[in-house]
Amino acid sequence: MGKVLYIDYERCIGCKACVIGCEECSGHDHLSRMFVDELNPGETVATSPTPCMHCVTPACAESCPVQAIAIAADGTVLSASMEKCIGCKNCTYACPFGIPKVDDQKKVMYKCDMCYDRTSKGRPPMCASVCPTDTIRFVDEDAVKYEPPKPVQFKWDFGGTVIETRTVIGLPDTETNQFGYREGGGVQP
Amino acid sequence: MGHAQNKEYSQRDYDPIVRDGEELISTHCCFCGMQCGMNIRVRKEDQSVLGVEPRYDFPMNGGRLCPKGVAAYRQAEHQERLLHPLIRKNGKLEEATWDEALDLIVSKIQEIQGKYGKDAFGIYSGSSMTNEKCYLMGKFARIGLGTKNIDYNGRYCMSSASVGFNQSLGIDRGGTNPWSDIKFADVLLIAGSNTAECHPLSMPYIWGARDRGAKLIVVDPRQTKTALVADVHLNLRPGTDVALVNGLLHVMIKEDLVDYDFIQNHTTGFEELKELVQSYNPTYVSEVTGVEVNRIVTAARIFGQAKNGFAMFARGVEQHATGTDAVSNYTNLCLVTGKIGRQGSGVATFTGQGNGQGGREHGQKTDQLPGFRKITDPKARAYIAGVWGVEESEIPGPGLSAFEMLKALGKEIKGLLLVCSNPIVSSPSVGDVGEYLKGLDFFVCMDMFLSESAELADVVLPSTVWIEDDGTTTNVEGRVLRLNGIDRTPGESKRDWKVICEIAERLGRGQYFQFNSPEEIFNELRVASKGGTADYYGITYEKLEKMQGVFWPCPTEESEGTPRLFEDLKFNFPDGKARILSFEYKGPNERTNQEYPVILTTGRVVFHYLSGNQTRRIATLRGFCPDPYVEIHPKLAEKYKISNGETVKVTSPRGSIELVAKITKITREDMVFVPYHWGKSLAINHLTNPALEPKSKIPEFKVCACKLEKVEIQAGEKHG
Repeated sequence: MGKVLYIDYERCIGCKACVIGCEECSGHDHLSRMFVDELNPGETVATSPTPCMHCVTPACAESCPVQAIAIAADGTVLSASMEKCIGCKNCTYACPFGIPKVDDQKKVMYKCDMCYDRTSKGRPPMCASVCPTDTIRFVDEDAVKYEPPKPVQFKWDFGGTVIETRTVIGLPDTETNQFGYREGGGVQP
Repeated sequence: MGHAQNKEYSQRDYDPIVRDGEELISTHCCFCGMQCGMNIRVRKEDQSVLGVEPRYDFPMNGGRLCPKGVAAYRQAEHQERLLHPLIRKNGKLEEATWDEALDLIVSKIQEIQGKYGKDAFGIYSGSSMTNEKCYLMGKFARIGLGTKNIDYNGRYCMSSASVGFNQSLGIDRGGTNPWSDIKFADVLLIAGSNTAECHPLSMPYIWGARDRGAKLIVVDPRQTKTALVADVHLNLRPGTDVALVNGLLHVMIKEDLVDYDFIQNHTTGFEELKELVQSYNPTYVSEVTGVEVNRIVTAARIFGQAKNGFAMFARGVEQHATGTDAVSNYTNLCLVTGKIGRQGSGVATFTGQGNGQGGREHGQKTDQLPGFRKITDPKARAYIAGVWGVEESEIPGPGLSAFEMLKALGKEIKGLLLVCSNPIVSSPSVGDVGEYLKGLDFFVCMDMFLSESAELADVVLPSTVWIEDDGTTTNVEGRVLRLNGIDRTPGESKRDWKVICEIAERLGRGQYFQFNSPEEIFNELRVASKGGTADYYGITYEKLEKMQGVFWPCPTEESEGTPRLFEDLKFNFPDGKARILSFEYKGPNERTNQEYPVILTTGRVVFHYLSGNQTRRIATLRGFCPDPYVEIHPKLAEKYKISNGETVKVTSPRGSIELVAKITKITREDMVFVPYHWGKSLAINHLTNPALEPKSKIPEFKVCACKLEKVEIQAGEKHG
């Protein structure tokens, strides 16, 4: 089994090193494909990064009218082929996670390809390489899905349609809210 | 195969990728004291800087970088770099030749020193430079210019930690342990440090400890990204650290959670401490600090009961009028519980500047000579005079500390050389500092960008970006590191050390400054530090490469350095015992009152470094955090009818600025927080208090009194 991205929200410090690091991959043309969101603004400083979730059955590729989105042998959902992509944004609308972006000037979609230039050479993607807190890790798919260090999620129910993703999310502790992730859970009196 | 000292670090087993037509320069980040390893991608053909590639094999960070680290290389090809010397003509800075600039500088130095005496020309230096440059600045001041007045920006940064460690442990190495030891702690008490944002690459070690079950106690007025993931957050009122620690000590002593064997055998002063903290019961301490009683008691029990642990702190503890007391008091937590001198136990301060450690060791501090020697010590003076080849009497005595020096501009000091610093942004009460600078007869500044301070200079000299020079730095742990440089000097820029040597030559002092490379300077530094506390004698460039850094002291060529201090529990005092010092709580220099009812505290964000002269110019970093803001608790905001995003005027007795309000529950109701990385009308340092700590002379950046006023913006003006 290949390696996948594992995201442990609790460790994210919102520094966006992944966002800038993403620009540094040779295949990325200095366009970042990472997102970092504030989870609970005004309440806590909790944040989380979102790369492409690399669906096992990717809606982006299925919706592409010109078959510009290829899936690599290891399951990585690649960014659109520059030659084929027509910039129609079908993929952007089809993606349940809202990942593909479109460069409106070049009329081409770009998204996380797990730094295929790096992973194909056995190196971690840039986001997992630079992440200063190990929020983003590049780990064995089986190990993290079936022997995880903490509760994880990689199946997502969108109104009855269950999507399995290669990217795995380590779930934050919302039960005791030890790390401040619960909605409205700011602890300051 | 790495060296055994690096075994427990966070390096990863990957090689970097080298792309066609490129080479990698392995170096360290120019920003904070973590000194993360990185590879700079350089095009072979023309030596242009292309990007960054992870350096997976470097122990401290294993290729990981914060956003500043990823973007650091973007300074190199930056269009705003200074590429020519500038001389002020008819009020404007205009391009000039090096000869014109150096002639003018030398004639002004001679004129000023001839008229007012040697000490009338001062040097204000910086700690983001290599050890070689820092050493050279100290030497140049003393025997190039012959002035006693040299000090540096680390005075605002590391000086309280330095005094505190020296008075408690007899030695000032920021970390008593290698950073990998943090993973083996059972408790981490982190005070006045937003580690997650200011030293992000410490987080893998903190999580490493947590993954093994360690508890995390964070002392900070704000629920920062570090405090967010703590077991106990002691959200104290700014400036009340001494009282809080007295409270923790009170509980630990009362509940018998101290190590009497260790206290008896390896410390002095415990009885006085016990006596003093008796009155600091949790109820009283809760009143003073604003921290709930149960949090104080819980934290004391967790720390006291743990077998191994660290007390770690940063500027939030140190930048106070009683900063050295607070440093020693936090150190007491480890001394009374015997948590020092082994894996998992120790004391550390998070060094802010890139070379904040090395920069304070080798003589650019006004009271100090290389190797941490005191400039007033006759033996030290004689030794250094011998190394430099001068008479002992030629070395001046101690001069003015950084902020005192700024206050003396136009009075005792008529000329100033400013290197690698931006005091018009980073000093307290910067409005006054602007006036002080105007009093100068002559002001020369060396920088790679036209900083807010450089804009005011009579002459500006273009220096190189950090990756264009060789040298060494010393990181947060006391590990000396080798930085490789690219062999290029864009435009007419020059390396700072070469410029200093040229000025010395023109002043007729060239015989003492015959250096052809940083390594030659380092080899003299080795000898100068020999026998001192920070002994680098056994460290060579070769050894630094081979071992991926060497921890000082390293007194002989056979020595492999000292990763962990005090393993034999002998502290650096004649009797070998650490000093437990006791302190009454005095509080901040400036209290809130009817006119200024709110506490103002300042700090950093992850996207910017110090005065922002570098990071504000990097488009991506500026984009992530373009402007300062004021963090206000919803309840405080309600009092002033301020909504999120509205403009607020914040005023202290020294000045005021207008900021956008960020309403958030992460801060206390009795205070506001503003980041300090901006200059001119956006500089929060217009408001900060220049009250100096009596021993360290650090200004009290972290507390002053302020008031808030909502700024009503006229309709139509908002989007204009």
